[in-house]
Amino acid sequence: MTARSTDTNRSRNLALVVLGTLIVLATYLYLVITQPTELAQSSSAPAGLIAMAGYLIGAVMLAAGSIHRLSTTTIAMAPVAIALNIVVGQLVAVLGLPVYLDSIGTVLVSALAGPAAGVVTGILTNVIWGLTLNPVPLPFAVVQVVIGLMAGYAARLGVFRTVWLPPIAGAITGVVAAMISAPISAFIFGGATGGGTGVLVGMFQAMGQSLLASTTLQGLLSDPLDKLITFTVVYLVLTALPARFKQRFPFVREYQVFGTKVPTSKA
Amino acid sequence: MSSTLYVERASPIHRLNPVTKLVALLCLLVVVFAIPQWWASLAVLLLVIVPAAISSGVAARLARSAGQLLLPILVVLVLVQGLTYPGGRTVLWQWGPLALTTEGLMFALTIGARLVCLVLASVLLVLTTHPGDLMSALTEQGMSPKFAYIISSTLQLIPSFQARATSILLAQQARGLTVPSNPLRRLGVLMPLLGPLVLGMFTDIEERSTAMEARGFGSTARRTTLVPVRDTRAQRVARWVIPVLALAAILVSLRWIG
Repeated sequence: MTARSTDTNRSRNLALVVLGTLIVLATYLYLVITQPTELAQSSSAPAGLIAMAGYLIGAVMLAAGSIHRLSTTTIAMAPVAIALNIVVGQLVAVLGLPVYLDSIGTVLVSALAGPAAGVVTGILTNVIWGLTLNPVPLPFAVVQVVIGLMAGYAARLGVFRTVWLPPIAGAITGVVAAMISAPISAFIFGGATGGGTGVLVGMFQAMGQSLLASTTLQGLLSDPLDKLITFTVVYLVLTALPARFKQRFPFVREYQVFGTKVPTSKA
Repeated sequence: MSSTLYVERASPIHRLNPVTKLVALLCLLVVVFAIPQWWASLAVLLLVIVPAAISSGVAARLARSAGQLLLPILVVLVLVQGLTYPGGRTVLWQWGPLALTTEGLMFALTIGARLVCLVLASVLLVLTTHPGDLMSALTEQGMSPKFAYIISSTLQLIPSFQARATSILLAQQARGLTVPSNPLRRLGVLMPLLGPLVLGMFTDIEERSTAMEARGFGSTARRTTLVPVRDTRAQRVARWVIPVLALAAILVSLRWIG
C-alpha cells in the first residue's frame, strides 16, 4: 500500500468520525429545541424517525471511521469486552441490583486502548444484543458510543491515575448519557423502557413535566449513579491487573494512563 | 441460555439473502415510524410481517419470544401514557393527579403499534438468519471484515464466558464468599468475580492477536469468500425496489392524510 492511499483513508476516517459526531449532536439538539410530540399528534412520527435514524446513522459512521485505526490486539480484545458487557449486565439483572452495569467492558477497553476502541466496542455491544436476544437495546447503541468516547478521553486526561477522579468522570459521563438517551426513550418507546423507569417517567409527567423532560429527569436519576459505579469498578479492576499487562498497550504508554511509575522498569 | 435465537428451517424466508432481509427490515421500520397513524403500523403488521412469519415456519417461536419482550413494555406504556400523558384533554376517569385521557391512550396506541412492528420484524430477522450468514453477506457488500470478526467471535465467546463466570463465583463461594441479601452490598461480590474473569480472558488476547497477524488479519487486500451467500438477480433488483416502494407509501399517505 502506498503512503498516499493510507493518507486518503485517514482523512476519510476522520471525516466519518467528525460527520458522525455532528449528526448525533444535531439530532439531539433538533429534538430538544423543537420539542415535538406533545400536542400535535401528527408531528410525533418524524420525532421517532429522526431519533432512530439520526442516532443510528451517526453511531454507524463513528464506528466505521474508528475501526480502521484499531490494532489487531485491540480487535482481539473487543469481543472479550463485549462479552463482559453482556454477561455482567445479565448477571446484575439477575442479582436484582438497581443499576444496569452493561458498559464495564466498554470503559475498560477505552481506558486500555483509547476512545476509538471504546466506540467500536460500545456500538457492537448493542448491535450484538439486538442481533441475538433482544432488539430493544439496539436504538440505544449511540449511548454506548458516547460512553466509550468519553471514557477514552477521560483516560487520556489521566483520570485513572487517581482514586477520586474515576467516580467524578463516571458521574459526568452518566449525565451526558442520560441526556443523549432521553429522546430515544421518549420518542421511540414513549417512556416505557422498563417497569421501574416507566413508573418514574409517569411520576414526572403527573407532576406536569413534558415527555422529553420526564425521560431526561428519569435518566439523570439512574445513569450518573450507574456510570459512577462502572468507572469505579473499572478503576478497581485496572489496579488489580498486573502493570506488565497494562503497559503492553500503546495507548497506555503514550498517554501515561496509569501515571509515570512503571514498576517493570525497576524490577 | 443459548446465545442466539436462530432456528434452522427450510423456508423461503430462510433462503433469502440476509442483506435483502435487512433492507426490507429497515424500510419497514422507516415506513412505520414516518406515518403518524396507528393503522399504518397495523397494516404493515397484517400485510407484511404476519404472512412472512407464517411462511417462515417459526411463527410460534416468534410469538413467544416477541411476546416476552413486548408484554412488559406495552403494559407500562399503556399505564404511564394513558394516565399521565402531558397533552391529555379529554378526561375519561380521574383519581388525584392521575387522569385517564383519550389522547394518552391514542399516543400509547401509536407508539405501541410501532414497537410491536419493530420487535416482531427484528426478531423474525434474527430467527430466520444465521448470524454468520449475515456477517459474510455484509462483508461481501463492503463492510469491514473486522466488524464481522468481532461480532462472530463475540457470539462464540459468550457461552464460555458465562461458564467461566459461574465457575469463578462457585470457587469464591467455596472460599467463604457469601452473597448478601442487601442489593447494594451485593456490589461487593462483583470485585472477587470480575478480577479473575478479566485477567483470565484478557491474557489470551495477546496470543490470539499474534495468531491472527500470522494469518494476514490486518491485510487490507480484498478477500474472496469460502462459502458464497446465496443471491439471485431478483433479490438484487428487490433491494432497490423495496426502498422505492417504502418512499412511495410514505409520500402517498402523507399526501392523502395531510
